[in-house]
Amino acid sequence: MAELAAPLLAEPATAPAAEPPSRPKIAKVGVLGSGTMGSGIAAHVANAGLPVVLLDVVPAGATDRNALAAGAVERMAKQKPAPLMSARAAKLIAVGNLEDDLGKLADCDWIVEAVIERLDVKQQVYRAVDAVRKPGSIVSSNTSTIPLTKLVEGLPESFAPDFLVTHFFNPPRYMRLLEVVAGEATRPEAVAAIRAFGDERLGKSVVLCKDTPAFIANRIGTFWIEVATREAIDLGLTVEEADAVAGKHMGIPKTGIFGLLDLVGIDLGPHIAASLLANLPANDAYRDVHRPEPLLAGMIERGLTGRKGKGGFYRMQGKAGIKTGAARTMEAIDLKSGEYRPTREVKLASLDAAKAAGKGEAALRALVEHPDRGGQYAWRMLSQILAYAASLVPDIADEVASVDEAMRAGYSWELGPFELIDRLGPGYLAKRLAAEGRPVPPLLAAMGGEPFYRVEGGKLQQRAVTAAKQPAGYVDVRRPDGVLLLADVKRASKPVAKNSSASLWDIGDGVLCLEFHTKMNALDDGIIRMLGKAHELIDGAAFKALVIYNEASNFSVGANIGIALFAANLAMWNDIEGSIAGGQQAFKALKYAPFPSVAAPAGMALGGGCEITLHCSAVQASAETYMGLVEVGVGVIPGWGGCKEMLGRWSTNPKRPGGPMPAVAKVFELISTAVVSTSAEEARENLFVRPTDGITMNRDRLLADAKARALALLAAGYQPPKPFALNLPGASGRVALEMAVDGFRQSGKATPHDEVVAKKLARVLTGGDTDVTDKVGDDDLSRLEREAFVALVKTPGTLARIEHMLDTGKPLRN
Amino acid sequence: MSNVLIAGYARSPFTPARKGELAKVRPDDVAAQVVRALVERTGIDPADIEDLIVGCAFPEGEQGFNVARLIAFLADLPNSVGGATVNRFCGSSMQAIHIAAGAIQMGAGEAFICAGVESMTRIPMGGFNPLPNPVLYERYPQAFVSMGETAENLAKKHGIARQRQEEMALASQQKAAAAQKDGRFDDEIVPITTKNGTVTRDGCLRPETTLEGLAGLEPAFDQKGTVTAGTSSPLTDGAAATLVVSEAYAERKGLKPLARIKSFAISGCQPEIMGIGPVLSSRKALQRAGIGLDDVQVIELNEAFAAQALACVDELGLDMAKTNLDGGAIALGHPLGATGARITGKAASLLAREGKKYALATQCIGGGQGIATVLEAV
Repeated sequence: MAELAAPLLAEPATAPAAEPPSRPKIAKVGVLGSGTMGSGIAAHVANAGLPVVLLDVVPAGATDRNALAAGAVERMAKQKPAPLMSARAAKLIAVGNLEDDLGKLADCDWIVEAVIERLDVKQQVYRAVDAVRKPGSIVSSNTSTIPLTKLVEGLPESFAPDFLVTHFFNPPRYMRLLEVVAGEATRPEAVAAIRAFGDERLGKSVVLCKDTPAFIANRIGTFWIEVATREAIDLGLTVEEADAVAGKHMGIPKTGIFGLLDLVGIDLGPHIAASLLANLPANDAYRDVHRPEPLLAGMIERGLTGRKGKGGFYRMQGKAGIKTGAARTMEAIDLKSGEYRPTREVKLASLDAAKAAGKGEAALRALVEHPDRGGQYAWRMLSQILAYAASLVPDIADEVASVDEAMRAGYSWELGPFELIDRLGPGYLAKRLAAEGRPVPPLLAAMGGEPFYRVEGGKLQQRAVTAAKQPAGYVDVRRPDGVLLLADVKRASKPVAKNSSASLWDIGDGVLCLEFHTKMNALDDGIIRMLGKAHELIDGAAFKALVIYNEASNFSVGANIGIALFAANLAMWNDIEGSIAGGQQAFKALKYAPFPSVAAPAGMALGGGCEITLHCSAVQASAETYMGLVEVGVGVIPGWGGCKEMLGRWSTNPKRPGGPMPAVAKVFELISTAVVSTSAEEARENLFVRPTDGITMNRDRLLADAKARALALLAAGYQPPKPFALNLPGASGRVALEMAVDGFRQSGKATPHDEVVAKKLARVLTGGDTDVTDKVGDDDLSRLEREAFVALVKTPGTLARIEHMLDTGKPLRN
Repeated sequence: MSNVLIAGYARSPFTPARKGELAKVRPDDVAAQVVRALVERTGIDPADIEDLIVGCAFPEGEQGFNVARLIAFLADLPNSVGGATVNRFCGSSMQAIHIAAGAIQMGAGEAFICAGVESMTRIPMGGFNPLPNPVLYERYPQAFVSMGETAENLAKKHGIARQRQEEMALASQQKAAAAQKDGRFDDEIVPITTKNGTVTRDGCLRPETTLEGLAGLEPAFDQKGTVTAGTSSPLTDGAAATLVVSEAYAERKGLKPLARIKSFAISGCQPEIMGIGPVLSSRKALQRAGIGLDDVQVIELNEAFAAQALACVDELGLDMAKTNLDGGAIALGHPLGATGARITGKAASLLAREGKKYALATQCIGGGQGIATVLEAV
């Protein structure tokens, strides 16, 4: 059991790496309870491509006995952000009720319980499930408050070995953390099966936790929220100020503390607090920070429970109208009066000081040392959370890396608490706590100012912690089998080539990795040059294949439009045309190169970021990839082969109706309305990703999967694609699209400049002056793209769009 | 010359395109079930049928391959029966009736099934490959004018205020809802068997419609215009069929006629105001029948748009109390190729039901045409 209790992402170097040999297969899943969590878990299992049975109780007096589960699935189809990755996934969910349909669980390999947090109800469900489930099937609870030992108490002896806790975070599709708690009696095979399934199929970062109250993330997260709220009130900060201080330098996501409370529901607070107070050890620091907050109680009473209620700490007021031009205004609650007022811009000297100090440690230090209320707030909040976290290892997890991973994956913190301690300085934190007469956690005190993490011999290491809460030696932070992180490659090696925009890395087995590192990973000449360098290296036989990948939140948001605006303002039309031609040639060379290339996008892959992907031999996309050709937003059309490649794909799609127009009309729709797929699965439906391309559920496995795909292409005797020759409709098709654009313009669905851009796009996509009997190839379409791009950049409407986007980050509807 | 009778009328339920119950059914399968039911209900010996003439506005895809012949096979008509697909856009299946009537008077056949079909779900309006002639578009763009725009043009030209359009739409909805409630469609509707069960009721009706609700809708085609989705006929899936026979044949075989075809006409007009088409075609048909509008007690005027229908009402001086007694296309739906057979068959059966002497069925046609049929009680 010892090695199984160790967290997945950070097993000690001494732990045996091999999985138990007979890992049960999970091919069908049952989910009990169709509330937010149950339905969300069912949706995500369906996203992974598995059939799911979703059961709930029969509502009193219902005509449809499956009304609860059926209603949940119906709601999910419309919910934003979407719990389901595709319409296809929804069809994998079969609904039923807990009275008539228990038999449907008989062939489930894994049954997840997500019913109400009441021990008696849960145990009643387990008894019913135990009567029908097949031998060896795994049962788990999504409980967030009830200890595992209590859940299995009094149940048949055969039940506990198959039982564990699987704690998902809301919403299950998007939150990467899965906390797994194994009991004393749980079979190692069952734990291994759930860990592997959670990691590989559900794409979760699986962290093994101890059976302690609220596990890891909510234990620290609840403490943090309570401290952050209370200190903001005590120090007289506004909610905007508190969220700004927490966000910029502590790496708390943009929603901030109060935004997060609005999201999860303010009314949940008292329930969570009550549960923690009932279960936490008598000396836990949470007991000291917890106090009933009249403001929050008042808000709950008034129905101000957050986004699901009539408002929260923030709310949107007013009605937006296309005709009136009115916009909704954001309001925030005054923490003193409890009344709403329009949000205010945050101005704090402490934030200015932090900004002036630069980045990382210097900025954070400048912030917490500043005497204004922002600086005091930052220090009081940080010092309490970090001290609390430092006091909990190894009670809640054996390793500090597990705690950090849980907070990053479960609360979207940029850095975990121990990483934050390292950034602030472990010695600084310990000294200042002591100087203020506050207790210093024994682990922190014994660190002697040394950091929790270091890089040694190219490997990331963490400080091991003994059972007596003392630091031991440094041990490698271990990755699960099959995980390859560019961050690790970068720690262990130097780039093969590098400029200010991009780098090339040797990721082993003859595969070269092209990494972008411009601002927002916008494509620029530097990246194009580095692509050329990759080509040279592989042609020179130093490498065999190329993977295009990076570990930023977004693969690439497009081309650098600032440069285009600069050139246009100086009327450097030849330079603009040259830059378009340069990109076209580089991407064409990539497409027809004798070696395989695999793009591995994750997050946003827009505009030029989408176009480079379209030219690769194959794609291995993260399941959470948001892809589209959005150039019309800045008044241009895709100029680096986006039009061309999408036409090629839709024209050769065997499922489309015959004739020259269906492919053209589809691509016209995708580009003229800037469709962005909301998942890799949807990108596949739009053919941004081909049916033969791969999707990886776990972001941490993306690079390894992309590399494997490149090697598989090589092993299969890679041949570059044949150039396509399309029969496009020419002027007749262009007129048909123009007529449609006129209709949109007249009905007010398109703006005047939309019309200008869409008509240029129509000319490109219909093949210019071609006749339907003629063949149109790569170069013809590239020329049409180039002509249209340059013509559009010369229009005042397009320049206004580019300027507006650069100024505001939002598209101009002119 | 032999007189020509309409001796039977049947149709499928009309359901909204894409979200209706017929969205997942092939149009030829729907039409075949309607044709089969018409044969059964009228009791005609299928071996006597000369031809199956099917109107269809976008005869391609699942409506392609001369779909009339294929519907004949699907409906198990004998091989001796012919099959022709006819396209006059919205007037297609009324044209099918006219072709049969002409043939009968030529002595070229005694019995015809004149049907119409359109799945606006499965074959988009405009077809899969719209390829207009660029030279014509340059020289005469109104040849390709959109239907919504023609409705706006008529509303402006004839000063038809938005509220008046909405009152007409509401009346159409109320009449259709009452007819559905009282079971007045039961005789004409053929239940359609689908993979997901049997479809028995019209699905486009919005009985909850109110003037306030209609007034709140955004213009659908011109942001400064007056025509909304509520005052336009919806995109619809459906099929309709009529049995057209010589009077001598009906007497010989003991068929039960609904009405006699007295006259018909086609007319052309400016494409940009195509909705006014019924005015001239109705006048021509009435003149050929030798009667005046006052003699007509039953009128079926297709409601492509309320603005368009009202322009015709004003111009012809139609009495709304006699027009579209069971509601029109704004409420029931307008599956392009099927509408002509529906309104002609409906006018014939209303003549019988109401015990009146003359009926007029007329509709406008995209591209600038009108078509009209005058019916007489038997």
